[in-house]
Amino acid sequence: MSAVASAVAPAVAGRFRLSVPRSLRSEWIKLTTLRSTWWSIAITAALTIGIAALIAFALTTAGAGPRGLNGIMAVVSPIQFTALLAGILGAIAVTGEYSTGMIRSTLAADPCRGRVLVAKAVVLAVFLFLASLVMFLVAALIVSAILGSHGQALEWGSPDKVILPLLSASATMSVCALIGVSFGFLLRSGAGAIAATVGLLFVLPIMSTFFAFAGESWKWVLDAANYLPLSAAQNAILPSDTAPLSAGVAFLTLGAWVAAGLLGSWAVLRSRDA
Amino acid sequence: MITAEGLSKRYGPKTAVDAVSFTVKPGTVTGFLGPNGAGKSTTMRMIVGLDRPSAGRVTVNGHEYRRLHAPLTEVGVLLDAKAVHTGRSARNHLRALAATHGLPSKRVDEVIEIAGIASVSRKRAGGFSLGMGQRLGIAAALLGDPHTLILDEPVNGLDPEGVMWVRNFVRQAASEGRTVLLSSHLMSEMAQTADHIIVLGRGKVLADAPLSQLVQEWTTAQVRVRSPRAAELGDLLVAAGAVVAPSAHDVIDVTGPEAWWIGDLAAERGIALHELTPTSGSLEDAYLALTGEAVEYRSHTLPDTGAPIPEAVA
Repeated sequence: MSAVASAVAPAVAGRFRLSVPRSLRSEWIKLTTLRSTWWSIAITAALTIGIAALIAFALTTAGAGPRGLNGIMAVVSPIQFTALLAGILGAIAVTGEYSTGMIRSTLAADPCRGRVLVAKAVVLAVFLFLASLVMFLVAALIVSAILGSHGQALEWGSPDKVILPLLSASATMSVCALIGVSFGFLLRSGAGAIAATVGLLFVLPIMSTFFAFAGESWKWVLDAANYLPLSAAQNAILPSDTAPLSAGVAFLTLGAWVAAGLLGSWAVLRSRDA
Repeated sequence: MITAEGLSKRYGPKTAVDAVSFTVKPGTVTGFLGPNGAGKSTTMRMIVGLDRPSAGRVTVNGHEYRRLHAPLTEVGVLLDAKAVHTGRSARNHLRALAATHGLPSKRVDEVIEIAGIASVSRKRAGGFSLGMGQRLGIAAALLGDPHTLILDEPVNGLDPEGVMWVRNFVRQAASEGRTVLLSSHLMSEMAQTADHIIVLGRGKVLADAPLSQLVQEWTTAQVRVRSPRAAELGDLLVAAGAVVAPSAHDVIDVTGPEAWWIGDLAAERGIALHELTPTSGSLEDAYLALTGEAVEYRSHTLPDTGAPIPEAVA
C-alpha cells in the first residue's frame, strides 16, 4: 500500500489545471461511456434509415413522377420522430447526473459551473450533429439507390438540394438535444425534463393544429406555433417560398430556443446548490 | 489548511449551519463529530463549493474553492459514495474526472491500485457494494494527489479490513503533512484515527479541541477498586470525601482521589486489593455529554410501566 505517494510530483503539478478543452474531453468521455447513449443512437439510426427507406419505396409505388414529395423529403422526414430521441438524450445526459449524484463529483472537479454547462452543451451538440449527419448520409444513399432505379435519384450535384438540407437536419438534432439539456438543468428530474422536452417538441405542435378550425381571433396561436422548434426546423431544412418562415428567420428561431434554454440553465446552475 | 469564518447555511426558516468558525490544520487528522442533522455534511459541501453559504466564508489554503484553478490537485473530496453515475464503469468515472485537469490515465490506474478496486474497475459502478463504492470515492479523492482531504463518513459500509485501510491511510496522509478532515458516526473509529475533534450540534461548534483534552474535560476519571473488603474501604473513602459507587459485591468505582492515594489508604488499614484500575472516560462519553442537549433526532426511551413482564406459564 503506497497510500498517497504518487506520480504527480509537486514540481509538475502546475501542468494539471482546469481548462475548456479539458472540460470538453471530460464531457466527451462521460457521454460516450454510457450504454444509454449508444442505445439512443442505434434506435435513432434505425428509425432514420428505416422510415426514409419506407417513404422512398412508397414514392416508387406512387406511379407517377414526384408530386411535391421528393427524395430529400424522404431522407429528412424521420426527424419528426428522431428529434424526440435527441431531446431525450440531451435531457438524460443532465438528469442522469442529478439522479445518481454524479453532478456533485462533476462540480467538485470543476467548480466553474459556466464551463461545465458550456462543455456539456458543446459535446452533446457536436456528438448529435456528427452522428445525425452520418445517419442522414446513409439514409440519403439508400433513398437515392431506391429512387435511382426509377430515375428520381437525389441531385447530389446541387448543394441546396441534398447537402444543405442534410446539414440543417443534423443541426436541428443538435438543437433538440440542447433543448433537452436545458430542461434537464432547469428541472433536474428525468421524468420532468423528458415530459417537458416531448411537450415542446411533439405535443404543442399537435395542440396548435386544433386551432386551425377556430375562428380568426385564434389565428395568433397558429402564427405562434410556427416558431415552435420543430416547425421552425421544417422551414430551415427545406426552405420554400410558401413556408410560413423564411430560412433565415427559421434558423434565428432555432438559435433563440437554444440561447434561451442555455441562459436559463446557466441562471439556475450558478445559483442553486448542487 | 481549511478556514471557516462565521459560516452559515439556512434552508428557509431552518438553520443547518449557524455561524461556524474553525480551522483544520495540516499534518493532523481532524474529526467532524456530531449527531445526524448537526450540519457536518452541509459544512463539507460548502467547503467544496457545492452549497453556497448564506453567510460567512470558508477557504482552502486561503482561497475559496470556486476560485481554484486546479481543485483536484489541492482538495480531494469524498462526499458520499453515491456521487457516481451508476451506468459508468469505475475506471471511466475516474477517467472523466481526471480529464478535467489533464491528469494522465496512468494516474487513474494508480489510484485504482491504491484503493484496491482493480478487479472491478471495468464493471459498472451501479453494481458496486457500499464498500466498493467508498473505495471508488476515495480513489477519486486521490486523483490529483491533493494536499487536503475531506472525507464524509469514509468507513461507512467498509469491512474491518477496509476500516483498517482507511485508518492507516488517513494517518499516513497526515504524517506526510496533509490536511485531513473526516466525519464519522463511529466514535471508536474516530478515537483511533483523529488527533483533533470538532464537535457539531444543531449547526454550532460545541467543542474544538485535541482528542485527549476533549476526553479529559468532558468525562470523569474514576478508579475501579476490587477488594474482598470493598464495602469497608468504600466507607473510608466516603469519609475522606470521595464519591463511591458500588458496581459488584467486591467492586467499587471511586471518583475523586487518584489510584495511588486509594492504594496507600488500603495499605494503611491492611485491606487487600485485588484490582486498582484508573479508568478515563471514552470519546463516546465526552460526545454524549457534549451533545446531550443538541441531538435533533433523539430516540425516546420506552416508558417504564413498572410492572415486570409476566413470565410465560408453562
